[in-house]
Amino acid sequence: MQLRYVYTELGQGLRRNLSMHLAVILTLFVSLTLVGMGVLFQQQATKAAEQWGNQLQITVFLCRNGDSNPVCPSAVTDAQKAEIETVVKDNPEVADYHFESSETALEKAKELYGEELFSGDNPAITAEDMPQTIWITLDDPEQFEGITSAVQGLDGVSRVQDMRKVIAPILGALSMLQWVALVTAAVLVVAALLLVANTIRLAAFARRKEIGIMRLVGASTLYIALPFLLEALVTAIIGVVLAGGALAAVQQFGIEGRGDDTLKFIPWIGWEEFRLALLTVAVLGPLLTLLPTLVLTRKYLKV
Amino acid sequence: MIRFEKVTKTYPGHPHPALDNISVDVEKGEFVFLVGSSGSGKSTFLRLVLREYRPTQGRVYVAGKEINRLASWKVPRLRRDIGTVFQDFRLLPNKTVTENVAFALQVIGKSRKEIKDVVPETLELVGLTGKGDRMPDELSGGEQQRVAVARAFVNRPMILIADEPTGNLDPTTSVGIMKLLDRINRTGTTVVMATHDSSIVDQMRKRVIELDNGHVVRDQAQGVYGHQV
Repeated sequence: MQLRYVYTELGQGLRRNLSMHLAVILTLFVSLTLVGMGVLFQQQATKAAEQWGNQLQITVFLCRNGDSNPVCPSAVTDAQKAEIETVVKDNPEVADYHFESSETALEKAKELYGEELFSGDNPAITAEDMPQTIWITLDDPEQFEGITSAVQGLDGVSRVQDMRKVIAPILGALSMLQWVALVTAAVLVVAALLLVANTIRLAAFARRKEIGIMRLVGASTLYIALPFLLEALVTAIIGVVLAGGALAAVQQFGIEGRGDDTLKFIPWIGWEEFRLALLTVAVLGPLLTLLPTLVLTRKYLKV
Repeated sequence: MIRFEKVTKTYPGHPHPALDNISVDVEKGEFVFLVGSSGSGKSTFLRLVLREYRPTQGRVYVAGKEINRLASWKVPRLRRDIGTVFQDFRLLPNKTVTENVAFALQVIGKSRKEIKDVVPETLELVGLTGKGDRMPDELSGGEQQRVAVARAFVNRPMILIADEPTGNLDPTTSVGIMKLLDRINRTGTTVVMATHDSSIVDQMRKRVIELDNGHVVRDQAQGVYGHQV
């Protein structure tokens, strides 16, 4: 196939309709960035839930040496632990539970805050300082009061934390951000589709003479549509590159740079999650321009 | 080569058919004039041959293919066997004569070498040797129509369709174009020409098919424009 014509047409088409193409690229850029942000927020929510357990869980902190709570004269004993376990096990609201040792708690803390605090000759925090915990998963997240009051007064229990109180607002905020991003993105995607449709209409009109002759001399539909498809692809690629850049900037300066420092207790997403967002954007961008182009070229360039 | 079997074509929204139950047979290598007043159905006839439309009823065969049943994606193949010339030339104003003719081959994927060989040959055939680098607006109307004929014929189609090719030309120039179409016809190409130009029809003494209000009212070998028997 002789593609010289297709390439000259592509160049001409991009120049001729420059303002429309810029509009498409900018709309794509913003909408794809928002879609990417939505993906990032969703990943962040998943990651937070992984760290803290999901919202069905409550955590029982057991007494440790030097516990600040006056009900804890000393660290929890094995007998007390067995007693607590019996109460938890027999409670009908409990779906599942597991013990977490001080060492595991320390490992989790290390992951969040980095190794420096915990290493060296005189570490600021050791396993001794970390409480043992029991993680309880409830059958029904609304029915947490029964188990809380049952465990609360037992010897060896320092405090009961309903994780929902900690996580719910964070997950709520993340989920809201995610929805705001995705809904705005959806609106902009519609705008992008309309712009693409308009661009094709203009381009088909500008080329109507060539197209008429091509149809008459028997050029295939694909050949006639090819410059349009390539134009769509070029604008999509530019949009994806811009959106990818914006997302990378968010990741680099927003998360790696700031959030990681100031909001250390949250497990932040990394470049791996960014790659997923980038992939989503890279697939969605070309789809958004190529699909309407395919549909409309069939309509406008019908043989 | 072209065969209409009881063909009726009705356009949506129009009560009267543009073609009403017509049957016509054009053999390979024939030269046929299609005459009749405006709205008699000439253009519809040509458009059915080009498979721009499908007939409402009846069958149309072109170059051995039944166009009623021809799938859309096969239409480009059919059109490569048909060259088309119009009253208004339809040249691309931003391309030279050579480029205009080459365009027809480029877009159907012919190789650069083939284009380089065939285009000058065709320009010579239509009498435009040495004018390949001109732009269309630097040519006279007759010359522009020759470019259009060259473009229609460059792929050596089996059928050449001409819709009022002399409609925009003065009589002397028209004769030149007719001689050219006649020469193309002698290479074995079937020519179907719709026209209003009575002097040309009378001069050429070829087969004449007259349409009136969608009906064939005359089909005459070596006919003339007006009603004569």
